[in-house]
Amino acid sequence: MKYEMVAGFETHVELSTKTKIFCGCTTQFGGDPNTHCCPICIGLPGTLPKLNRQVVRYAVMAGLATNCTIPEIAKMDRKNYCYPDLPKAYQISQFDMPLCVGGYIPLSNGRKIRLTRIHIEEDAGKLIHRHGDTLVDYNRGGVPLIEIVSEPDIRSIEEAREYVEKLQLIMRYIGVSDCKMQEGSMRCDVNISVREVGSDKLGTRTEIKNMNSINFIAKAMEYEFERQVDILENGGKVIQETLRYDDVTNTTSSMRGKEDANDYRYFRDPDLVTISVSREEVEELRNLLPELPVQKAERYVSELGLSETDAALLTKYRKIAEFYEEASKGTKNPKTAANFIIGQIFRRLDTESDKEAFDIKVSAEDLRELIKLIDDGKIKMNLAKSTLEKMLDTGKKATEFISESDMGGLDEATMISLCEQAVESNPNAVNDYKNGKEKAIKSLVGFVMKNSRGKADAVAAEAKIKELIAKA
Amino acid sequence: MVDREEILKIATLSKLFVSEEELPKLTTDMEQMIAFADTINNAEDASTDFDNINNLCNVLREDEVVPSLDRDKILGNAKDIDDGHFLVKKRA
Ligand SMILES: [Zn+2]
Repeated sequence: MKYEMVAGFETHVELSTKTKIFCGCTTQFGGDPNTHCCPICIGLPGTLPKLNRQVVRYAVMAGLATNCTIPEIAKMDRKNYCYPDLPKAYQISQFDMPLCVGGYIPLSNGRKIRLTRIHIEEDAGKLIHRHGDTLVDYNRGGVPLIEIVSEPDIRSIEEAREYVEKLQLIMRYIGVSDCKMQEGSMRCDVNISVREVGSDKLGTRTEIKNMNSINFIAKAMEYEFERQVDILENGGKVIQETLRYDDVTNTTSSMRGKEDANDYRYFRDPDLVTISVSREEVEELRNLLPELPVQKAERYVSELGLSETDAALLTKYRKIAEFYEEASKGTKNPKTAANFIIGQIFRRLDTESDKEAFDIKVSAEDLRELIKLIDDGKIKMNLAKSTLEKMLDTGKKATEFISESDMGGLDEATMISLCEQAVESNPNAVNDYKNGKEKAIKSLVGFVMKNSRGKADAVAAEAKIKELIAKA
Repeated sequence: MVDREEILKIATLSKLFVSEEELPKLTTDMEQMIAFADTINNAEDASTDFDNINNLCNVLREDEVVPSLDRDKILGNAKDIDDGHFLVKKRA
């Protein structure tokens, strides 16, 4: 029997507001325990929470960027559960009237992962367990979160990976969150079940809680998929339960006992009034959204003629895309800037986070100046490449490394004389070439390039050298 | 009808100490409150939205940091503290 995976995600994303969702305490990460707290966020009786406008705006932007609809009216509800990380014994969240409903994330294989909803809520405090005692730090308590809930549309680990990466990129692009998984500002719960391929029924699902790394998610899903298939193949039944993934043993284990029946007794928070998002504000926020990676990539292909691969590489991180657009602005061929970035500049950026930070010494304007020298026929590509290396090393402008005499190309006579010198002073290479070693010609061309300080046209030089050897 | 066991259970859940003398009065009070809620539920004009009776909308604040409270005050009411944290002791 063949089985397939059916998975849905609940993704918590911490919003990049300056203050908490219902009070003016800072949301800064870290800080001594319980120093970012006030009577509202530690839930003292008699305090009145007041909703942060920016939380509503960011959540609506997140919804618009993921193709959601924004209902005109939303409200806040209390989700009741008793645990020390919640000082009020309830979390203020949204139950049946969230800010965003019904979006989707398109995947590269053409499938769409539907989103049920995006709602806003407060984060809980941090617990440190020590010898059975629990230490509580409420600095994180009340930090605004959005929870992005997907339909069970994910069918493989590859799709899960792409879904999480896409969400992360979109949220960073639109600037509503830094989505740093290792710092916990993006965390995923995964609902997972298995069924026979071809069936359209949903199996019993389990929920793996609170994972903060894409690799853990992939491993946990793989383990859980195999565990459930094993149970079914041995005639057993999957029990609906909440699981914790242990990355050391690479296993999942049951997290909650029966006493924690999922009855959150949601009811409207009487301290918080209705939220109404006007259509004008929705349009205003839509206009604030930057062009998203997918749209950008499509435009690079259709308007600038880049390959899909190059377009994807250049749009993955917002800083790179902005740099590219600035550097290629007004240049003759949009591919030139793309090649410099993907080639020489990327070679200096080893990791994905290096690429995302895109911390290089050359400004987009300086790269554009260099490209214009090529466009105007003042320098050849080889000289441009070596100049860019020097610019990347020092942060200086192209004109610092290229003298007036370098510009304007090489006159015919000098070029021919250099080719003759190359043939005369490198008899070994000439012999190698004559004996069928095609590559030997490169060292002769290299001689010409070096002695012309990169000004020679490499293609013309190669042709000339071949001609000279043939004549000899 | 509310009985004394229910009042004791609610008191425990709310972490309130209730003496034997207070029980009869609390029982009648609670009964009256529930009866009042029933009256409202049976009111003829059921279309009224009791959820949002004040008709307020969008009471929002700007995203501006205000100083937090001194930690000594934050921890002031805590039964146990340890190293700047609230301490929840292991249940015996
Ligand atoms: Zn606060």
